[in-house]
Amino acid sequence: MSGEDFLQKLEAAGYASHDPAILQPASVFLDLSGEDMRGRLLLASDGAGGDFCLRPEFTIPVCLAYLASAHSGAPASFCCYGPVFRQRRGQSPEFLQAGLENFGRADREAADAEILALALEAAGPRDWRVQIGDAAVLTALLEKMALPPVWLRRIRGGLAKGQKLDEILDPVLDRQADHSGVLAALDGADKRGARALVEDLLRIAGISALGGRTAGEIAERFLEQAELRSGAGLDADKRSVLEKFFAITDQPDKASADLRTLFSASGLDLANELDAFDQRLNFLAARGLDMDKIAFSASFARNLDYYTGFVFEAHDAASEDAAPAIGGGRYDRLLSTLGAKSEIPAVGAAIWIERLNAGAQG
Amino acid sequence: MSQEKPMSEAKLVLAVPSKGRLQENANAFFARAGLTVTQGRGARDYRGVLSGVENVEVAFLSASEIVKNLASGAVHFGVTGEDLVREAQAEGKVELLTPLGFGHANVVVATPQAWIDVRSMADLDDVAASFRARRGERMRVATKYVNTTRAFFRDKGVTDYHIVESLGATEGAPAAGQAELIVDITSTGATLAANGLKILDDGVILRSEANLVASLGAQWTPALLEVARKILSRIASEEEARTTREITTVLVQEPEDLAARLDFCGGKIRRRGVDGFIAFTVPKAQAPVLADWLVGQGAGEVVVRQHDYVFTSVNPLYERLVARLFRADDHFYDRLVARLAGAEAH
Repeated sequence: MSGEDFLQKLEAAGYASHDPAILQPASVFLDLSGEDMRGRLLLASDGAGGDFCLRPEFTIPVCLAYLASAHSGAPASFCCYGPVFRQRRGQSPEFLQAGLENFGRADREAADAEILALALEAAGPRDWRVQIGDAAVLTALLEKMALPPVWLRRIRGGLAKGQKLDEILDPVLDRQADHSGVLAALDGADKRGARALVEDLLRIAGISALGGRTAGEIAERFLEQAELRSGAGLDADKRSVLEKFFAITDQPDKASADLRTLFSASGLDLANELDAFDQRLNFLAARGLDMDKIAFSASFARNLDYYTGFVFEAHDAASEDAAPAIGGGRYDRLLSTLGAKSEIPAVGAAIWIERLNAGAQG
Repeated sequence: MSQEKPMSEAKLVLAVPSKGRLQENANAFFARAGLTVTQGRGARDYRGVLSGVENVEVAFLSASEIVKNLASGAVHFGVTGEDLVREAQAEGKVELLTPLGFGHANVVVATPQAWIDVRSMADLDDVAASFRARRGERMRVATKYVNTTRAFFRDKGVTDYHIVESLGATEGAPAAGQAELIVDITSTGATLAANGLKILDDGVILRSEANLVASLGAQWTPALLEVARKILSRIASEEEARTTREITTVLVQEPEDLAARLDFCGGKIRRRGVDGFIAFTVPKAQAPVLADWLVGQGAGEVVVRQHDYVFTSVNPLYERLVARLFRADDHFYDRLVARLAGAEAH
């Protein structure tokens, strides 16, 4: 896939080609990225206090350009092709990427389907293995189940790390390092009491500096740990729902039926999320995608901090590269994080050109 | 036949710390091996010589400069901490030949003592996630060990944090509000405690000490390898002498379980003489035990001696260097043999 071909195809589909500056202000990437990504940025200084980095990807630069434009908030779509820069051990820090971003569309499901279909078309006909997930269904489920924050953190963090469900739901409590006695005593205590206890403990120990956390936060975490130990907040019923939910991995239409069965049996109302899910499948089918070549997996949620809805990855079955050649999803929160006054729907995809080429050679 | 000039003028460059306790300890280490580090006239001279072995130039550098120069191949040998080698991600470019027994310090994760709910990295991971959920900002870790911290936190699955690079007095960062916690080096933990910080139970990233480190990328000509062999042979023979004792005695009849006993205490027979004379080598700590046992076996008198040097035909440090150079470069050995053959032909 050449850059010209790609941009031509996408422009024909209504995506404006955009080439963000190679040199980007570093602060926005440093603030928004996790430490792992920060360590991969190619940083540069202008010698007068200005810190820059070479663009590590396209999404944030395109978002910033869109927000600065006169069309900010209105539907608009963009495509990019060119080198991006990240430090990679044993590999060149410069590599080619292509990107598609679609902003401001209220018909989210149609936009979701359009992005995946266009990304696959642009990357060319191959034996694609497409994996899809839905962060909105997962987020809504966790919300409707009214799980305590400590469990939400465990589940979200565990999924992001690729942990298995057992590992997430059965916390390994280090008997030596925990505060069994205190926690047992605190189980069922109220927040104010726990806070008073923590404050007293700190005063007795003569500790005044709290290092960025409050006594209330420390006390609250003690209560959460007590809750985690006693298993309160995640009874057998809730656990069973989670286990059944995360076990759903199937052809998308079948998975949708399974999800509906599970939720209605558990008395959870996720009708809106599932209607959106089905509608998206209809749009994907209308775009000519073969549903039997797509696998839905409930635990495939990519990064819940970033993605808010549809997520997808595509592998070329002929490629030996374990990493996907195409990845993307819906990120409705990013534009407000970057300064938009209200939420602007956004969905996009990135294509790793060198992984495509690896597939072609193999 | 060889086009190359003999490299007799080239010197082996040995980098040693330019100041403080590390310098004193490094000098003492070389002095024990009969090698004296002599600085050029005046304390401001950054080049010196190593008396005892010819063709060695000593470069006085800061500890972190030593690692950089080892990694780039600008110096052949250097004395520096394992912590700095790891932080510079130079493991593939250098070989840690031997730990030197000084400069002990641990690289640790330390949090405020007030965080009484946090004792392990798993706790820290949980607190980091809730910190971010509450404030929309990531927890900050102050450190000069940026790469080491990233690798360790990644390994422990902690992701919700940002590093704040600190170039000095890192332990003060939490109190100053510049960070929530730190990763820093500590030898006794006293400085951390004085700043209201505690080390997490599984927060010791690395137990470091000063090492004699060889550069794999430096110019290793046969002549310089021979210089290296001489230095390493001095060091190894002093180490062998310092850590072992010679025991001599006369045994009229050799006990049946002598071999088993020697196995047990890590000793070996050095030589046998006439009339039942026998000499052993044992690790220093085992010498009294073996001597006592020998008396119990009928030896009239047992003498334990310490030697200055024990030179052996097998030099473990040198073998290690050559093996690693060989491993780092598939053709190194062939070239070396060819050049040695060429040198002999002259």
